[in-house]
Amino acid sequence: MPDWREHVRQHLRLRGVRPGREAAIVEDLAQQLEDAYRDGLGRGMSAGAAEQFAAGHIADWDAFAREVAWNPAWRRGRGLLAGLPRDLRFALRLLRKSPVFTAAAVLTLALGVGANTSVFSVMNAVLLQSLPVADAARVVVLRTTNPAPGTGTVDSHTTFSYAVYDALRQQDRGLTVVMAHVPLAQSKVAVRYGAQPEEAEGDMVSGTFFSGLGVRLARGRGFSAQDETNHALITVISHNYWRRRFQQDPDILGKAFFVNGVPTTIVGVAAPGFEGVEAGRSTDFWIPLQSRPELNAWGNAPEDGKTYIADPAWWCLRLLGRLAPGVTKAQAAAALQPAFQTAAATGLGHWRAGERKPVLSLEDARRFSGSATQYARPLGMLMAMVGLVLLVALSNVTMLQVGRNAARRREFAVRLALGAGRRELCRQLIAESLLLVAAGGALAWLLAGWATTALGVWANIESSLAPDRTVLVFTLGILLGAVLLFGLAPLRTVLASANANRHPARWRHGQAIVALQMAVCVVLLAGGTLLIATLRNLENTPLGMRVDGLVVFGVKPESFHSVPESITFYRELLAKLRALPGVEAATVVEERLGSGSSDNSAMTVDGRLPAVANGSRTVRSNVVGPDFFHTLGVPVLRGRDFSDADTAASAPVGIINEQFAQRFLPNQNPLGHHIGTADGKFQMRVVGVVKNHKYRSIAEAPIPMAWYMYAQIPVIAKMDVELRVQGEPLAILPSVRGVVQRMDPSLPLIQPATQRAQFDTTVSQQRLFARLAGFFAALGLLLVATGLYGTLAYQVNQRTVEIGLRMAVGARRGQVVWMVLRGSLALSAIGAGVGVPLALLTGQALSSVLYGIAPASAPALGFAILGVAAVAVAASLVPALRAASIDPLQALRSD
Amino acid sequence: MFSRELKKGSTELLVLALLEARPRHGYEIGKLIESRSAGRLQFRIGSLYPILCRLEEKALITGRWVEKPGERRRRFYRLTRAGRATLAAQKSTWQDFTGAVNQVLGGAHA
Repeated sequence: MPDWREHVRQHLRLRGVRPGREAAIVEDLAQQLEDAYRDGLGRGMSAGAAEQFAAGHIADWDAFAREVAWNPAWRRGRGLLAGLPRDLRFALRLLRKSPVFTAAAVLTLALGVGANTSVFSVMNAVLLQSLPVADAARVVVLRTTNPAPGTGTVDSHTTFSYAVYDALRQQDRGLTVVMAHVPLAQSKVAVRYGAQPEEAEGDMVSGTFFSGLGVRLARGRGFSAQDETNHALITVISHNYWRRRFQQDPDILGKAFFVNGVPTTIVGVAAPGFEGVEAGRSTDFWIPLQSRPELNAWGNAPEDGKTYIADPAWWCLRLLGRLAPGVTKAQAAAALQPAFQTAAATGLGHWRAGERKPVLSLEDARRFSGSATQYARPLGMLMAMVGLVLLVALSNVTMLQVGRNAARRREFAVRLALGAGRRELCRQLIAESLLLVAAGGALAWLLAGWATTALGVWANIESSLAPDRTVLVFTLGILLGAVLLFGLAPLRTVLASANANRHPARWRHGQAIVALQMAVCVVLLAGGTLLIATLRNLENTPLGMRVDGLVVFGVKPESFHSVPESITFYRELLAKLRALPGVEAATVVEERLGSGSSDNSAMTVDGRLPAVANGSRTVRSNVVGPDFFHTLGVPVLRGRDFSDADTAASAPVGIINEQFAQRFLPNQNPLGHHIGTADGKFQMRVVGVVKNHKYRSIAEAPIPMAWYMYAQIPVIAKMDVELRVQGEPLAILPSVRGVVQRMDPSLPLIQPATQRAQFDTTVSQQRLFARLAGFFAALGLLLVATGLYGTLAYQVNQRTVEIGLRMAVGARRGQVVWMVLRGSLALSAIGAGVGVPLALLTGQALSSVLYGIAPASAPALGFAILGVAAVAVAASLVPALRAASIDPLQALRSD
Repeated sequence: MFSRELKKGSTELLVLALLEARPRHGYEIGKLIESRSAGRLQFRIGSLYPILCRLEEKALITGRWVEKPGERRRRFYRLTRAGRATLAAQKSTWQDFTGAVNQVLGGAHA
């Protein structure tokens, strides 16, 4: 008998198999070949023929060895990689064969993920991103608790006096460098390059600014300590401004650049991508800290002749620092605390006993340091909203996918029977999901880029919101989750398909998901309705004036230094403007209405600070010109308006509103009483009472207000001009510009706008929020509708036989339609049941941003429920009608 | 007689089915397939043995050496619990599938 073991050993060349396993294979094979040999003999073959017969069992030893010897682990890995292109091709073919499903899934995914990516982009930029500077983790923002009484602040937590800055920068502990920066104006500042006056955003900064932050200069140089000490008149412009305004002029260095009429020399261009450190703003240029009145901090007029440098009571500078190596924020703050508290008292004498001293703290510098809190809440809510939309979108696609794969159960069953492993099926499903998600993700990224830009414009964020790596990781994370979800959710059904033909409990899951989606939709709709109602309330709030036909712009003359000079300027300006064709009335005002800011202080009434039992003594005041109330269209209830006859030479006069009269001069004729500043230095006689109207913003509640006549008080800086014109308000601007420039060629019109648009800016955030909320609610509704449609259509398909049977035994079409509709109405009822309590909670969470509507608003809830029910009916109608049009005979035959 | 694909795809099912009643050794399985199909299905060791290896890798069957007096020891294969479940599943789908195919074919004749 042949030695089969030897035969196997001769032929079998196994690679990568353990010796023990190889020996077992050899022995097993030898035994089997011997069995074959004996089998041959048993069939009456000769010994030679039997040997040939047995040996013929394994003809191609190399192929055989490959099949046997593949290391399972290696084979799995190789199999995955080798099979993937084939799976992807197959998946592509499948998806192409069902274009409606593919389009629905891709679009749903793109909308859901796109919305999340864009909101997250904004949130990331606003709340998470560090400054684009060297070693940003060591850069800190200086913060304080409320400064001492008697000081004026721009922002009670983030601004400091020059004295404090000066003291802190001389400390050599905690921080290696302290950087100061302050805007040259509330918004934009008048600049001139060549002949044309224009406006730009500019900051005054310390000499340490560029070096301390580690911002490189693309061209030229930054500032030095020397520049700060000398108040050097030099300018560094941002790369963006250089590109936008100067077309990247390579010879820009050394050119003259006028800031508020003061000539400076451009010495540098900052590195690309650096937009300054003002939150949400994009700074165009920087100059070293100055001491001249034309270049005071925030564009304010010097108070009592003192600029910010000389005024220890004005806390106006923002400060940044760089932590010394190995020092924590808390340690640095503790090291600086004594010096800070001493400096904080500068100009105030000393701390009185029991007085709470301000406390310095340090915080990580972010791109939106300071204003992050303003955005944090709305952004958080928007993020929650788009999260819900994503939830709806993902569950939709999952249900589509599960439904579609349920229809493919036979295909999977056969493949399993033909020996396909679970792993291969799983890989196939993942491949399909991968394709869907890749397409949806790519589309989402495009949508998100567009949506983010739109969001930035709406939210008045000038700085770039381009997605960074964090956003990419966030989006890829969602997409990866989606791949697994869509790939694996159908797996159970698919594998179950191997077992039997029974219907798994899948359908009940589908219904639960639809009901939940409806609940989510009720929440979204109710929230959206509340916010949109808020917006409508805000927009329809009476302002107390005839706001249409008013145009407003700022003027800031720099060329003269005395009060009478500027009064003469404004009087002349008003006279010339009134003479323009189309101008009905003109006046000036110090704080522009609807700009969000106001002068607030206590005022004396008849020489004393009024005693107010319950309530505040705060009066909002403004400095205005002649014909102010006439121009605005605010009714004068008693007395008169200011007039050109009220001058520095005549007795000082003031005007108050109804609220002032009611609170401080109740039950008497206010005319003839005297009101004045809290320090008693300035007194004026009340000559008029006007109707309450809005000052700072649309949403403000009535508050006592008082008006000074501009010609009678010594402080005059920038003024805004209000014009009442016939026809389109902005059409007057070219001729107005002509008038202003004939008086002073270097004067631009600062932020010209209609008064309506100006007031609207005070609700821009609410508007943005309401629009987005409405949009996301609608998006959620649309997604729920498509999901419901898909689920119902599928359900009707599954019930074809049942429906056919019912109709065969006499059910009428109406009954069948009702049967289908009833199902989805029941689902919406469940959805509403779950959704209403959630919507009430959402209303509570929104309450701080609502205006004129209660958080638990029955109409809003009713609208949400009706909306969801309407969508349910609309989405069920097509499948219901289809069910009713089934031919009973055909239906019964179909399965 | 039957296409290679079809044969290869269904072999796992056949092997599992033959091991359902009792453990068998390698050559016996091939012989049984041949005899039960009245010679219409024939598997050489070269094609059957890799399938045994694969099923064993998937833990659907497991092999054990058994020595009987007077013979060389043989490797006997038996179904695992997972193998038994898989067999039940595949059997019923296979029957559904072939039933459906037959119906279709039958329908075409009618």
